[in-house]
Amino acid sequence: MPGSLLHIRILLADDHPIIRRGVRNILEATGEYEVCGEAADGNKTLEMALRLHPDIVITDISMTPTNGLEVTRRLHGALPDAKVLILTMHDSAEMLRAAALAGASGYLLKSDAEELLVRALQTLNAGQRFVSPSFAPALVEQAFS
Amino acid sequence: MNNLRILIADDHDLVRKGLRLLIEEHAGWTVCAEARSGREAIAQAEQCNPDIVVIDVSMPDLNGLEATRQIRKSCPKTEVLVITHHDSDEMAAEVLNAGARGYVLKSDSDEELAHAVEALARHKPFFTARVTEMLITSRENGSSNPVESMRRRLTVRELEVLQLLAEGKTVKETAAALGIATKTSDTHRTNIMRKLDLHSVAELVRYAVRNKLVEP
Repeated sequence: MPGSLLHIRILLADDHPIIRRGVRNILEATGEYEVCGEAADGNKTLEMALRLHPDIVITDISMTPTNGLEVTRRLHGALPDAKVLILTMHDSAEMLRAAALAGASGYLLKSDAEELLVRALQTLNAGQRFVSPSFAPALVEQAFS
Repeated sequence: MNNLRILIADDHDLVRKGLRLLIEEHAGWTVCAEARSGREAIAQAEQCNPDIVVIDVSMPDLNGLEATRQIRKSCPKTEVLVITHHDSDEMAAEVLNAGARGYVLKSDSDEELAHAVEALARHKPFFTARVTEMLITSRENGSSNPVESMRRRLTVRELEVLQLLAEGKTVKETAAALGIATKTSDTHRTNIMRKLDLHSVAELVRYAVRNKLVEP
């Protein structure tokens, strides 16, 4: 039942349609999430977010001309209630720190998506942060401090 | 056109999932196998003899271009469609040289990918407008094509050793991965460094990254 209040509304941003298709499939299989929009670049993501007011924005980092971190920063200012889950293949501590600084609540590696995407969204929805388990807990603390 | 058997090769689970969903939406198209590395792609192709291989360029343990070359050799009826996020004229030329007859960027639409599969099924080449433009630019520039010139200098085995070393494997691990003696693997390493005029493993890694044999 799209549009139902029971659904958590997700905006999906990635410049690769194949990836969006994979993510959408994981979400729709749960019956708990509604993908309210898809965007292939950062500007479109911001525009759609302001229009659609999603609960959670799942965004890639590598997008042009506005990358996912910049999108996160601007969303954090414009829509403070919308949570951002970064979905990326960048597994460096610097990138995690940059995402935390930009205001992301979650950081999930694409290699973990199949297994952990739903858990990450549940965690964010409960008001907590989620980071892929391959990052050491101490490093995560430091990044979000 | 109907009953196409397709092999998917990409090291990212999400990409393989997306590709599988896209392929299975088409009546008669089936995914006969999935591979996560270039080497696995070659083995799977030889085993299931697919009509089409959809393959990523940047993969661990033998990249997609070398895998394409070997698949075209061992399964000449199999067409190869390369998908990549590398958007460069050199890469487009490289893809053709490897024997693939289709090249689609990961940012291209699902429709273009489907059209590419349909064209290859008829043994017709497929390139998007953007790629065609890159190919023409590459010809006009008479691009020096560093990967191709490196390929001419190194043997296939040496290229395999180079990629594994650049991925951080030791000479011993490289030998084990390729099923050759450690001493042979070390000889390959010496020859690669001599041929490419490199003097340390760090230089060798930098060289492989710069020439897109491995991702940074």
